[in-house]
Amino acid sequence: MNKDMKILIVDDFSTMRRIIKNLLRDLGYTNTDEADDGQTALPKLEAGGFDFLVTDWNMPGMQGIDLLKAVRANPDLKELPVLMVTAESKREQIVEAAQAGVNGYVVKPFTAGTLKEKIDKIFERIDTPA
Amino acid sequence: MVDATRLDLANEFIDALQDGNEELADEVLAMIAAERESRLFEEIGKLTRELHDSLASVRTESDLAGIAENEIPDAKERLNFVIQKTEDAANRTMDSVEEILPLSETIRTRAGQLQEDWSRFQRREMDVSEFKKMGDELVGFLTELNENSDKIHAGLNNILMAQDFQDITGQVIRKVISVVQEVENSLVTLIRATGVQAGAKKVVGEVEAEGPQMNAENKDNVVNGQDDVDDLLSSLGF
Repeated sequence: MNKDMKILIVDDFSTMRRIIKNLLRDLGYTNTDEADDGQTALPKLEAGGFDFLVTDWNMPGMQGIDLLKAVRANPDLKELPVLMVTAESKREQIVEAAQAGVNGYVVKPFTAGTLKEKIDKIFERIDTPA
Repeated sequence: MVDATRLDLANEFIDALQDGNEELADEVLAMIAAERESRLFEEIGKLTRELHDSLASVRTESDLAGIAENEIPDAKERLNFVIQKTEDAANRTMDSVEEILPLSETIRTRAGQLQEDWSRFQRREMDVSEFKKMGDELVGFLTELNENSDKIHAGLNNILMAQDFQDITGQVIRKVISVVQEVENSLVTLIRATGVQAGAKKVVGEVEAEGPQMNAENKDNVVNGQDDVDDLLSSLGF
């Protein structure tokens, strides 16, 4: 797994972005950028250069699930690995995210261990396609 | 029954008049009047009660108006205060953590290096000049450790103090809960007074963001922690 990969962190709460940024740095990923909702995230993603997207669901403007759908609908971005980190915990929501093509789903509150496990799993699957 | 009484009284009255018994006639007439009066009082009583109920419901409306005008904006302000306070506390905590993490990282690295040097010394793999260098490094490390320990101590204290938001926000939220309770009570009273059918229709729409779930363990359609999420996803073939 490439520790230099560029990661976009999308959450409307700056404190949560900061927590995720710190956890990622602790895991060795220092190349991060931030956006506070889907509307600001999408242009950044479209501009290119990102290898991984970590997004919240519930945000003003454009929600995380819509950002995920927009990413999957874009030919340039549709392969981008997406990890959802969210407090949304209804079964139908998780199914919805899975159907929209999410690569991993972490419910808040979460631990550093869970985040690491999910990221490892996502890239393990990408590095060794079935 | 009442009509029968009135008819009896009327007959008695006519009899009395026909008998020329003026005294009895007056008495019976008084009884008829009294009977009529009691019915009037009953009607007035009923009207009074209705008026009272109407006034009570008007008062509920003005209570609600007061809540809408004063307490709801006040509650909004209070909740914004909670957001601000928790955000400040989180940032204060993370400021300290971000200060402390590199210090502990330095300690870890330098202690590891010294440990390695010391092992080499014990295995007699070290010449005099290297040994002197290790001695200098050890002194430097201890000095730095002293300084860093003070900074770490101050940082941890800062993190501790940042937790005071819990007390303050708890009080504010409790106040907002009581406003919500008041609104609920007033609405229920208003609905009862105006006779609107209670029992809300819940619109079932597409999947929407809901934020954190309360009492998740009592809801079947809500996952209970990361393990549940993982189980659900693997059942979907993830």
